[in-house]
Amino acid sequence: MSKRPAEGVQESGERTERGNPRSGPLTEHRLIPAMRWIWIDRILELERGVRCVAIKNVSAAEDVLHDHFPATDQSPALPVLPNTLVIEGMAQTAGILVGHARDFQEKVILAKITRAVFHADTGPGYAIRYTARLDRIDDSGAATTGTAELIDPASGQAAPLADIELMFSHIDRNRAGLAFPESNFVFTGQFISLLRRSGIAI
Amino acid sequence: MTSNPDQVYSKVQEVLVDALGVDEEEVTPQAKLVEDLGAESIDFLDIVFRLEKAFGIKIEQSELFPESVLNDPRYVQDGKVTDDGLAELRQRLPHADLSEFEASRSVEDFSNIFTVDAIVKFVQAKLG
Amino acid sequence: MRFELIDRVLEREPDRVVAIKSLTSAEEYLADHFPDFPVLPGVLMLEAMAQAGRLLAGGQTDSPWVIRQVRNVRYGQMVRPGQTLRVEVTRRGQDETGLEFQGVGTVDGQVAVQGRFHLAPLEAPRPSPRHD
Repeated sequence: MSKRPAEGVQESGERTERGNPRSGPLTEHRLIPAMRWIWIDRILELERGVRCVAIKNVSAAEDVLHDHFPATDQSPALPVLPNTLVIEGMAQTAGILVGHARDFQEKVILAKITRAVFHADTGPGYAIRYTARLDRIDDSGAATTGTAELIDPASGQAAPLADIELMFSHIDRNRAGLAFPESNFVFTGQFISLLRRSGIAI
Repeated sequence: MTSNPDQVYSKVQEVLVDALGVDEEEVTPQAKLVEDLGAESIDFLDIVFRLEKAFGIKIEQSELFPESVLNDPRYVQDGKVTDDGLAELRQRLPHADLSEFEASRSVEDFSNIFTVDAIVKFVQAKLG
Repeated sequence: MRFELIDRVLEREPDRVVAIKSLTSAEEYLADHFPDFPVLPGVLMLEAMAQAGRLLAGGQTDSPWVIRQVRNVRYGQMVRPGQTLRVEVTRRGQDETGLEFQGVGTVDGQVAVQGRFHLAPLEAPRPSPRHD
């Protein structure tokens, strides 16, 4: 595995050493966001160490909805956002909350979906509002609970969509033996861009 | 905060049902967290967080699950815990029943000491 | 992305299925997850297990089966491009709402994902907020 810094990364004098849990400041060298794995559109609230609220619009322009589910001989197309991606939206909302609580110094990785219960499905033209709350954080990881609501932008009405409890690992601390980059590979371009356009100073 | 044994037991049971996603009837006093209930390392962090919340106590992860001893070459040789290691474990885990583990001393078998009952005893000791 | 997380089915019995998902650098979401460290997102490991479970649900209704509940899905080994996730999904039971499954995913013999989930038929063709 490549351990060299990407081109253009400025190496600071305090370059982190292997085994040091701190990963150095976030770098800006990838500010051109790719957005092929981002499942929230905007952060509405971020209260350090307490809660994060984010929103995702669901649109027929998203490729995923055309595979989930296409028309068959028996049935018309049934475009709904896969519930695994609803979980990912919560994981990204909660992951930002967990990362922000420690100034994005930790590599925050989803370690466990403790529980997820779904009450409805989300089709094009609706939006999802994620609210994640930080239950507990320590050096090795964090636990969050959250709710997802289905929002009808035409009426403004909201209805329960899902309850999702997650756990995250701070992987520098838990997987010292595993080969992964020293730089903070989790909070890169797409997250920095999302935070910036949501007006959050980082 | 209560340390009534029945209440402690039922709260521990609830913690394990929530943390491990198992059914209540699977959580018997003799059930082993790893072997019977399928616990993984991330689950132990979850269990610590939930026990702290349920009982209003503070738990260091190492105090309940002493991985540092099992990873220490001073205490482990050829996959077996040494006399010094065993003494260290006894000191760190006064709540645990190590009698079965003493027979094999194999690090691989260590997780078997984490029975539901051992967690209950640990919590009771913390509550005083 | 194409939302197909099963590439081949290796074994199929009434209550058990084994399938594989091969991960390739050609999958575009890997560019974001993560730029310096491409790995299969954890929720897509769960999706692979759910899609395998859907094979066991079969044609019991006209509606496709979707995840309704997830319990204690834990992640271990990561899956890198060039590696293959092997998922084994077993039907544990059935209730009035749907089917319950146990799944485990391995990569090179190491556990990458394991946990339980519940599938039920998609209810409404036009999903709309439910007002209880």
